[in-house]
Amino acid sequence: MSDEEEVSEEYNNFEEEEEADTARELVVPGEILTDDIKNFIPGRGTIYSTDKKKIVSLHIGLKQISKNYINVIPLRGLYVPQPGDKVIGIIVDKNPVKYKLDINSNDFGQLKPKNTIKKGKPMGRRMGRPNYRDNRQSRDDFSTDKFNIGDILIVKVLSADRLNKPELTTIGKYLGKKHSGIVITIDPPKIPRVIGRDGSMIKMLKKLTNTRIFVTQNGRIYLEGEDLVHERLLIDAIRKIEREAHTVGLTDRMQAYIENEKVKRDIK
Amino acid sequence: MTLLIKDEYPEKLFREDGKRLDGRDKTELRPIKMEVGMLKNADGSAYIEWGNNKIFAAVFGPREVHPHHLAKPDKGILRVFYRMATYSVFDRKRPAPGRREKEISMIIADCIKPVLFLELYPGSSFELFIEVIDADGGTRCASTTIAALALADAGIPMRSLITSVAVGKIDGELVTDLSGIEDKAGEADLPTAITWFNEELSLLQFDGDMTLKELETLMTYAKDALTKIYEMQFNTLKQKYIDIQEGINQKTNENEKGGDN
Repeated sequence: MSDEEEVSEEYNNFEEEEEADTARELVVPGEILTDDIKNFIPGRGTIYSTDKKKIVSLHIGLKQISKNYINVIPLRGLYVPQPGDKVIGIIVDKNPVKYKLDINSNDFGQLKPKNTIKKGKPMGRRMGRPNYRDNRQSRDDFSTDKFNIGDILIVKVLSADRLNKPELTTIGKYLGKKHSGIVITIDPPKIPRVIGRDGSMIKMLKKLTNTRIFVTQNGRIYLEGEDLVHERLLIDAIRKIEREAHTVGLTDRMQAYIENEKVKRDIK
Repeated sequence: MTLLIKDEYPEKLFREDGKRLDGRDKTELRPIKMEVGMLKNADGSAYIEWGNNKIFAAVFGPREVHPHHLAKPDKGILRVFYRMATYSVFDRKRPAPGRREKEISMIIADCIKPVLFLELYPGSSFELFIEVIDADGGTRCASTTIAALALADAGIPMRSLITSVAVGKIDGELVTDLSGIEDKAGEADLPTAITWFNEELSLLQFDGDMTLKELETLMTYAKDALTKIYEMQFNTLKQKYIDIQEGINQKTNENEKGGDN
């Protein structure tokens, strides 16, 4: 599994949030963003005021204007599952028909056994029909013996809406159970900052700490390095990114920080 | 200086120089200090020192509802737990939640609901815990004020902030922001709260007696005080992030200076 592929896979899923690295205005809920409703349309995290004459913010976040949309990028907030997202989940409960996963959202995700077993391609054709003889469904396909409570899985969201519990799958590239490594949790809205524009931040982190990183949209980060010292350094760096996510010139500052810490901690 | 609350109240609530017992003018607020995000395990949190009041607020959510039968299939629910510490008042307060605490929890919840988008979170709950550590009059107003800050700090979408203040009448004079002793010995007490997105009153309680004209004057007093507190709330929320940016700027300046030498 190549690290570079992992990154490119991930940051494609994010919208163009990391635009010009310029100082953006800090706004709070109810703050008026503009009176000019002829030229601007409320985008993400914004709403028309009650009299429809202003655009106001819904979150505490950073104001951003792209074309004629006004967006507010939140600084705090909850992860909302979207189909196609890759997330890290922890199994908190299971019964004979499904697993219940904590995916750092307001609802638990559910993983059915049929979504944990990869079905092969049909073995050629037999009497004009696809031959599934060698991968017929067995009783094991429908039991929840594969994983245990407490296991950490990288899963993909199959379906998610407001009313039903998100459905997950472990079939796919990079998905499945993790046997070693560390998982840390940060604020989900700050994940794009950990990746950086075109993955610049995460590439730098990987290069300098020599660690494998898998960043997921629900705010959990999986990392595995050659030893604990490197992993500790990376965790400290990610915590620093989380704290300073709203500031300007973060990537350069982080590079200096890691190089500094390496000297301090006597790491090669 | 601690204020001992006794059964007998002072005869006059104004000093000879025309100021109130704690040295304030009629429309002056007590000193207010607010802070956000100091509780690590809560999704959002806020702390206020309003005169002698000291109150914490913590927000969790949206999350699963327990007990499950309280969940609504079409919208989320907001649950407020206003509690007073046993040592927060002069006499020991019995720790079990009493009639007064349930009432205040309910009015704070009703007051905050209009600014939240509860319909976006069916089957979930927001939980707001308010702990009064030290009480000296106007805790329901202070609690509502920081409840808004805690919700904003948690990143929950809100139409606007909420601000609350009490106005009233003591010794025949109309005043803003009653302290504990003025609340008890005064003639009327009028807690108000405003939702800023429509500038409507979200809370209005009344206890005592006054004329209709006096009520109108008090509402203008309340509006002035609310505007002042709203500005403080704005600055408190931003200050958390501005402090971090300023710390970085200072550091880089120092480094540049060090590099020159």
